Amino acid sequence: MSLRLMTLALFVWTLAAVSSAQAGDVDAGRRKAEPCAACHGADGNATIVGMPSLAGQPAWFTHWALIKFRDGRRKDPVMSPFAARLSDVDMADLSAYYAAQPPRRRPQAVDAAKAAAGKELASLHHCTSCHRPDLSGQNQVPRLAGQDLEYLLKLLRAYKAQTAGDLEGLMTQAAQPLSAADIENLAHFMAISPASPAP
Amino acid sequence: MLRIALISVVVVLTNVFALGLVQAQQPPPAWQQGRPPELSNSPLAPVAAPPTPTPAAQIPVNKVKLPPGFKITVWADGILNARQMAWGDKGTLFVGSRVAGNVYAVVDRAGRREVKVVAKGLVMPNGVVFKDGALYVADIPRLLKYENIEANLDNPPAPKELYTFPKEAHHNWRFLAWGPDSKLYFNMGAPCNICMPPDTHANISRMNADGTGFEYVAHGVRNSVGADFHPVTKELYFTSHGRDWAGDDFPNDTLHHAPRKGLHFGWPYCHQGDTVDPDFGQGRSCSEFAPPLLKLGPHIAPVGTRFYTGSLFPPEYKNRLFIAQKGSWNRSQKLGYRVMTVELKPGQPPKYEVFAEGFHEGNTVLGRPTYIEWMKDGSMLLSDDFHGAIYHITYQR
Repeated sequence: MSLRLMTLALFVWTLAAVSSAQAGDVDAGRRKAEPCAACHGADGNATIVGMPSLAGQPAWFTHWALIKFRDGRRKDPVMSPFAARLSDVDMADLSAYYAAQPPRRRPQAVDAAKAAAGKELASLHHCTSCHRPDLSGQNQVPRLAGQDLEYLLKLLRAYKAQTAGDLEGLMTQAAQPLSAADIENLAHFMAISPASPAP
Repeated sequence: MLRIALISVVVVLTNVFALGLVQAQQPPPAWQQGRPPELSNSPLAPVAAPPTPTPAAQIPVNKVKLPPGFKITVWADGILNARQMAWGDKGTLFVGSRVAGNVYAVVDRAGRREVKVVAKGLVMPNGVVFKDGALYVADIPRLLKYENIEANLDNPPAPKELYTFPKEAHHNWRFLAWGPDSKLYFNMGAPCNICMPPDTHANISRMNADGTGFEYVAHGVRNSVGADFHPVTKELYFTSHGRDWAGDDFPNDTLHHAPRKGLHFGWPYCHQGDTVDPDFGQGRSCSEFAPPLLKLGPHIAPVGTRFYTGSLFPPEYKNRLFIAQKGSWNRSQKLGYRVMTVELKPGQPPKYEVFAEGFHEGNTVLGRPTYIEWMKDGSMLLSDDFHGAIYHITYQR
């Protein structure tokens, strides 16, 4: 194992070691997720077009997303009222439950030519430096691989329009140079990528 | 001038590329900007912020080492992403945050601390100060004023918007501090790791408490998130974060002294007072700029910067500067994660000493000391934005 790999392994282990003390309860999360199943699927793999899958998302990502829905930085007519009723413990439990579910790539019609163009763009626009080379996400950064195409399009367009409310402004900044065609190509590449769970 | 012309050409070309004629490499995320190609596989990245505060019983505060007679305890927990602190007139402690988007009020109820969220959904409301019954909060991009807030902690008033700061998010979470001139001092950080900043960025500035009378105070300041005024001379001292991706040991983060307004402190041309930047320092000399008072260590991330004016700590601490260091990310071995003191005596070099250490073990983060506030009895409150807690450091001889 090279020194660099060891450092990376240590870095990932460090985060896991620190975060585990505060992790939510998967079983409690399973019960609390029952009202979410109608849109997001019982195991967090959604089937309705436009609805994001939450299975295999990093727990910190889901938790921060719920915080943003609750405090109004992120707005959605369906999600905002749900999040408004959640306690901090509910959010931790739900996030832990979804993180523990194996993700599946969404069965959807994806344009291979667009996806090939999107693969180039993902490198040019540094998507992989936070979302990881396989787009599986990490920490507060979501898994994009195998996600619902319509949802990916909606979010990327919202970041471009500066209405998506990201934590540190990184995605809003990253989306500014994207053309409508770029967004389309990127979303197709993300949607077609195999859905491996986050580390 | 040639450089400016070249940048203009690059900007024009970039715009042409963006129109789809050619697909060009795009700017990386802000934290990664300036990283040389040979480090493209570096695992180094900013330490992610947890979405939950750590319960007091799980915070490894027993690992913190202090000088003899000092003691540290968890004073309050459950304050997600706790950053700058400010006392209200009636004994409420207000606490800002960064990614949590909250401003908190901590109220002491017979030794038990109750934490209330008084503002939420703000964009990085790091800076908080208090004056004449009003809480001032700096988020991005606004300066907000909450009047008569201590009487309305459960139903906070809608804030007045006093001022609009630059809208860029990067390095624009800011400290707030009242100067001896009763003006409000704050930073406007560089919108990048290393770049030629617009005039509106990379400085410390001030304005009147009502948001009027803006003026620059210090130029060439990459990212300062902590400052204070000397208890005797009333002059401004501030810390600043040096650039990333130029090596584990370069450049140092720095302590600066600004006895008058208008000085330029070197960035992006000169780092740590003695080394010109390989790209932006061409044709420039460090002798053109006001040098730092002290090199604080590479990537150690100085945040809370406060003079000690109390009388609880031993007399040698009187008027010493305390610097809370959140700790490094852009370095293969973690450094910082501590509180240091600086003794400043006329005609003598600054004396730089460890006060509190042990907030990391090797590369494992045990805590991130962030901002400092003083209790009435002279003891210290120290926020930790990783655990979402506030520590209390007391002294008994």
